[in-house]
Amino acid sequence: MALMCSLTALAVKRPGFGERKYTITGMVEYGYNTTWGHHGNFDVQALMPINKHFEMEAKCQLSTANVYTGYVQLRPKFELPVGELFIETDVMYRAIKRNRMGDFTAALGVGYRMDYVSVTLGMFCRVFDNWDRSWYSNETYVVEPFNLLYRVEVFCRPQTNPWNLSFCVSNVDDRQMERQWQPIFGIGAYYDPAEHWRVLLDVQCKPTGMFHLDATFYSATVRAGFSYRF
Amino acid sequence: MKKLYSYMMLLGVMSLLSSCGPDATLDVLGMFSPQGETVNTRFAQSQTYNEQAGVTHIDMQSDDYMIYVCTDSHVTPDAHKLLDYFMAQYRAAASPKMALHLGDLIDAQNNFGCVDSILHYPGQTLHDTLFVTLGNHDIYFKQWSQYRDYFKTSAYWFDTRNGSRKLDLFICLDSAEGTLGTSQTKWLENLLKEKSQEGYRHIILFTHTHLWKLDASQGHTSNLALEETYKFTDMLSKYGVEFVWSGHQHARQSLVFKGVNYLVLDSSKDEEKGQSYMTAQMGNSIIYHYYPYNL
Repeated sequence: MALMCSLTALAVKRPGFGERKYTITGMVEYGYNTTWGHHGNFDVQALMPINKHFEMEAKCQLSTANVYTGYVQLRPKFELPVGELFIETDVMYRAIKRNRMGDFTAALGVGYRMDYVSVTLGMFCRVFDNWDRSWYSNETYVVEPFNLLYRVEVFCRPQTNPWNLSFCVSNVDDRQMERQWQPIFGIGAYYDPAEHWRVLLDVQCKPTGMFHLDATFYSATVRAGFSYRF
Repeated sequence: MKKLYSYMMLLGVMSLLSSCGPDATLDVLGMFSPQGETVNTRFAQSQTYNEQAGVTHIDMQSDDYMIYVCTDSHVTPDAHKLLDYFMAQYRAAASPKMALHLGDLIDAQNNFGCVDSILHYPGQTLHDTLFVTLGNHDIYFKQWSQYRDYFKTSAYWFDTRNGSRKLDLFICLDSAEGTLGTSQTKWLENLLKEKSQEGYRHIILFTHTHLWKLDASQGHTSNLALEETYKFTDMLSKYGVEFVWSGHQHARQSLVFKGVNYLVLDSSKDEEKGQSYMTAQMGNSIIYHYYPYNL
C-alpha cells in the first residue's frame, strides 16, 4: 500500500505540460509569395482552456493581399504517463476576396507530444467555392475530399520552458491547409519575459514542386507578436 | 530505435542512388533544390526564341478540325508503344488536324532524340501541326537544354485560322516545377487581356501540371500552391478561357470551376494499364472523346 502511494505520488510529480491559461495573442506578419508579391498580415488568436481535458482556439488573419482567414480548433487532450495525447478538430475558412472565392477546410487529427517533440497526423477535406457562381448553371463546388494532414515539430527545450526554439514541418498552419504534397517549413521561437507575457517569432518557407522533384522557392513569411496569459 | 535509424539511412541512400546513373528515372536531389534552370529563366529563354521565330498561325482552311491530345508518354528506347500508336492514329486521321503532347515526354536521361523521332516525320515541320509542353520529368537531370535543342520553347501561343479569319487561340504554359513563376504569370495575364478582345471562338490553355486534387489517383504528384491556384482560376475565368488541358496525374479528371473546363488526361505510358488519349472536334463547340489504348 505504501509502495503504491509512493508510486502515485511520483506520477503526480512527473513534469507535464502545465495548466494552460486563457491567452490572447496578437501578431504582425510580413509575407512574400510569387503570386501576391509583398504583403502584410495581422493575426489575432485566442486560447480558451475550457477544462483540464479540453481547449478551444480561435484564430483570425487579415491580409493586405485582400485575403481573410478564420480558424477554430477544438482540442480534447489526455495526459499520459509519458507525454500527452490530443485530438484536433479544425475548421478553417479562407475568404479570398481578391479572387472572389472561398476555401473551406475541415480537419481531424490525432497528435502526441512529449517534451521535445510534437507530432500530429490526420486528414482534411476542402471545398472551393466561387462567390459568383450562378444558381442557374450546372457548376458546383470543387471538393477535394481527402488530404493528409501532418505536423512534426521538434523543440530544443522542453515545451514548458520559459523560452524555446522549434523547427516544424507541416502542410497546415494558422492560415492555410495545403495539399499534402506541399510542405511548409518553419522555425519558431518564444520567450516569456514575465509571468503573463510571451514574445513570439516565427519564420516560414513554402517551396513548390518538391514532389515534382523540381523544388523551387514559392513563399516566405516572418511573424512576430505578443501573447498575454490571464 | 537503432534498427529504425539504420533502415531510414538505407532508404535515404537507396533513394539517392536511384537518382544516379544513366538509367535513373527519378531526380531525387530535385526534391531539395532546383536541379537546373528555374521557370523564370526557362520562360525568358523561351520568349527569346519566340521573338525570333515569330508566332505560328495555322490555316486550317476550314472552321472545323480535329485535335489529337496525349500526355505523359515517359518514352525510353524500350518503351514507346503507346506513343507510337497515338502518332499512327494521328497521321492516319483526315486533315485538317493538329496534335498536342502535354508533357513528360521522356523518362530517365538522353531520350529526347527517341521521342523526337516518334513525334516528327518526313514532310512535317516542327511546330507545324504538332505542339509539345514541358513536364517535370523533362527537366530532371538538368535536361532543359536538351529539351530546348529539340523543342525550342516551353511557353508560347499560336492560333488557328480559316484564311484570315481567326478561329481558336492556344496558349502553352510551363508548369514543370509546380509554379508558373512571376514572369510567365504576368505574360499570361497581358496576353489574355489582349487576346480576349480579338474575337476568338475558343481560348484553350494547355500545360502539364493539373490544378485539383480530387482523389488519391494522383499519387505523389503535386499541384500548384494554393495562392497560385486561386489567382490562376480567377484569371482564366475573367478572360474567358474555355478549356484547360493538362496531364501529370496519369488519371482522367474533369470539372468546371468559375466557368472554365479543366480536363486532365490519362497517360500514354507503356507500363500503365487502362490509359487513353483524347480527341477534340473543334467547331463552334468543342466535342471531346477519350480513346483507350487497346494494345
